[in-house]
Amino acid sequence: MSVFIASCAQISIQKPLNDEWFYIPVHYDEPFVRAIDPDYKPFINPIAGRRMGLIMKRAIATSMTALADASLVQPDAIVTATGLGCIENTEKFLKTLCYEGESCLQPTYFINSTHNTIGSSIALHKKCHGYNNTHVHKGISFESALLDAMLQFELGKIENALVGAYDEMTQDYYHLLDKINMWDGTFASETAVATVLKKNGDIELVDLDILYKPEKQLLIDRTNLLCNKIGISTEDIDLLVTGKNNNKENNVVYEAFEKSIGLENKSETYKNIFGESFTSSAYGFYYAFECLRKGRSPQGKDVNNILIYNHYKNIDHSLILLSRC
Amino acid sequence: MEELILKLKNEIIEVLNLEEVKPEDIDENAALFGEGLGLDSIDALELIVLMEKNYGIKLQDPNQGKEIFKSIAVMADYISKNRTK
Repeated sequence: MSVFIASCAQISIQKPLNDEWFYIPVHYDEPFVRAIDPDYKPFINPIAGRRMGLIMKRAIATSMTALADASLVQPDAIVTATGLGCIENTEKFLKTLCYEGESCLQPTYFINSTHNTIGSSIALHKKCHGYNNTHVHKGISFESALLDAMLQFELGKIENALVGAYDEMTQDYYHLLDKINMWDGTFASETAVATVLKKNGDIELVDLDILYKPEKQLLIDRTNLLCNKIGISTEDIDLLVTGKNNNKENNVVYEAFEKSIGLENKSETYKNIFGESFTSSAYGFYYAFECLRKGRSPQGKDVNNILIYNHYKNIDHSLILLSRC
Repeated sequence: MEELILKLKNEIIEVLNLEEVKPEDIDENAALFGEGLGLDSIDALELIVLMEKNYGIKLQDPNQGKEIFKSIAVMADYISKNRTK
């Protein structure tokens, strides 16, 4: 069963809903940068948008862009990944609860305070009654959503899917996570990436693997297994996209992997462009997709096969292989 | 009363997040639900919370809302007669 990537769309700290970052990325020196929002009027009418937090508006704008780019009106499945859900409205709800008690809580913030509000908003907006699932698994939320969609294809239940990764970051939550060194060596940001998967196309999502605390050899074996699926070896991988940042502890894991499969000189990173959040690995996927679509990487490498490797605190690791047919 | 109507319009815009709407766009005699502003049942809950939080008015009977939330003018009249803060 082959699955192909038809389109991808992003809202991030780069110019939203386009690929200008590929040629002229915007650089930031601040430790925490929120995403740049586009004009949402073309996507959501103000009356419908009044109960939506930013994360929901971003989800709808990226989803509608990705669906339009894939010439798809309504997806068979909507699979969503998020680390924190609608944290901004959840915070508003909790703050009211703390400061004003339980008697005057606003229903909208309560409705928005569940993680699956994002996926259901997209479904409501697109009037999609198909499969709808949300994955909340910290650093492997996006990979879990992708895997879920691939399984639905394999079961023959869907012909296409809309997979998205969304996270917002508030000043308060940024400071809380800062206290546990979440941002050590990287800068905090937000995620909004939507991708449409189909049963045919030019850019194949060959397969993906999620591993819990893997030994070095297991990562090598699983990489070889992924390559075997399309009859290539690790030498045929043109680009390795990794979640490296400026954190030594984080990078040493990536460097060991690069070395073990001989791809030290073929590696590029995306977190320096898009920042870090629980679902930022979706930008790695998007980065790889744009490279394959253009036939080259931002650093000028010709690409046909791209391996994406991420880990979250050296606990959950993921490998995704993409190939241009 | 005019002062209260303007205050109420601003509060409704804020609490219902009506980004595109300005106080002068709202006709205080127009229907809040259905036509007019086109509000729905969740908005009604928001208005109940607003009345309690800002004016100390607790609606015991949900059916009262139908009459009180008919328009901003009716709402302002009810608030001026029943407010506790």
